[in-house]
Amino acid sequence: MKKSSKAVSLVLITATLASCSKPTETKEEQQRVFMRADSSAPYTEVTDQYQQQRSSGGGMGMGSALLWYMAFRPMMGGGMGYTSPGISPQSNVGSNTSKADAYKKQTARGGFGNTSKSNSAAS
Amino acid sequence: MQLKYLTPQSNWQNRLEQNGFGYHTDENNIPYWVEEYYYSISEPLADEIYAATADLWDMCLQAVDHVITNKLYDQFQIPLFFHEHIERSWEKDELSIYGRFDFVYDTVHQQLKVLEFNADTPTSLYETGVVQWQWMNTYFGNSRDQFNSVHDRLIETWKEAKAHMKGSTLHFSCMRETLEDLTNIEYLRDCAIQAGINTKLIYIDDIGWDGETFTDLEDEMITDIFKLYPWEWLIYEPFALHIPSDMAQAQWIEPSWKMILSNKAILPILWELYPNHPLLLESYFDEPKGMQNFVKKPLLSREGANVTLYINNQVAEATKGDYGDEGYICQALANLPNQGKGYFIIGSWLIGQEPCGITFRESDKRITTDKSRFVPHIIE
Repeated sequence: MKKSSKAVSLVLITATLASCSKPTETKEEQQRVFMRADSSAPYTEVTDQYQQQRSSGGGMGMGSALLWYMAFRPMMGGGMGYTSPGISPQSNVGSNTSKADAYKKQTARGGFGNTSKSNSAAS
Repeated sequence: MQLKYLTPQSNWQNRLEQNGFGYHTDENNIPYWVEEYYYSISEPLADEIYAATADLWDMCLQAVDHVITNKLYDQFQIPLFFHEHIERSWEKDELSIYGRFDFVYDTVHQQLKVLEFNADTPTSLYETGVVQWQWMNTYFGNSRDQFNSVHDRLIETWKEAKAHMKGSTLHFSCMRETLEDLTNIEYLRDCAIQAGINTKLIYIDDIGWDGETFTDLEDEMITDIFKLYPWEWLIYEPFALHIPSDMAQAQWIEPSWKMILSNKAILPILWELYPNHPLLLESYFDEPKGMQNFVKKPLLSREGANVTLYINNQVAEATKGDYGDEGYICQALANLPNQGKGYFIIGSWLIGQEPCGITFRESDKRITTDKSRFVPHIIE
């Protein structure tokens, strides 16, 4: 029976500890645009997409994900856009994968993690 | 088994912190980690613990099969909507990584007895696999041994698990702002990375539901997820109904059949299946059935909460907490050893089906709680 590990090395925890003592690196200056998908989600940086849209000549200055979000907003009860809440989500989305992706972006969070009878889940 | 002392380093707290162990002392400045003494155990005792752990694991698997075959879920207070998920995870033999049996070395019978099985969310893994090993290296170098191949077994087990993953990313999840849980889960993730697995950390309340599958904060579908969060909490939360209907059928680790083993209802089931087995303590549902010295435990109690200890049918000790509505079991009181520093129990780790390491936990009272101390050990 093997009794003891001969060597114990860590990659993640050592790196995390090392990063704690590093000075914060200054990010290169760039235009930053944030979108907020719902009231509970953190702000998501969409800088790359925003800049790509601007440079492609489309000139709308808005990421396609945001456009689809606006279009499908009624599914979240927003009451505006181009879809009908009276029919099934599949009928609104059809076979268009972009639409389907946009619809799926309406992610709900916070459905786990509400129970805490102690400070730790440990046993 | 003997308690021995050494002269601790003056800056031992710094050593622990530099090794990523941030909760060696509690908020009241009371040490959780014991540096200056240890339990010296013999090689035969280490072998005895190894064999007991392996035997009990076999017995537990038989017991799970018995519970599922006979649909005894009501005795475990497991709701109807989740029975099928448990059965499916059992039939598919979904990945199970680890567990920790808590033993007492009964001083009267000179016999290991199992107190319970922490099968779903066991912690103190980092203390056992890393901190305890580094403590031995610091004070004894290579001159001593330890019952501790936890680190090797974790990496090896993740390597084996990689072939059984459903997707290419393994998510790890725990509650936020719990340093102990985060340390344990980051250690598990560390070992998974060393095993060549692509990983992501997501706090349990950040997990998303997009209408079809669970997702992370980058909207990546979750196909395999290790959670340090109890099943009995998960299944009563708003997203619980999505787990069985998840289009990706995400593989949750530990699997849902571990709900059966992490529930104290398994103790009377084991006693019924293996009556008078030397590793078991007499146990019954609800009533002591004539026992004079026994411990009454809620089915789902954690870290010693709501436990009542009876000696001669009188309450000798009791702890507070929020558990108990789910029902109780009564377990015969073991003769807890105490060598002057406290009552101690032995935690025995099973990783990837194999016993691989032990911990000593020590308490001022007979009931082991979250205030119990971690004491390292040496085989000599």
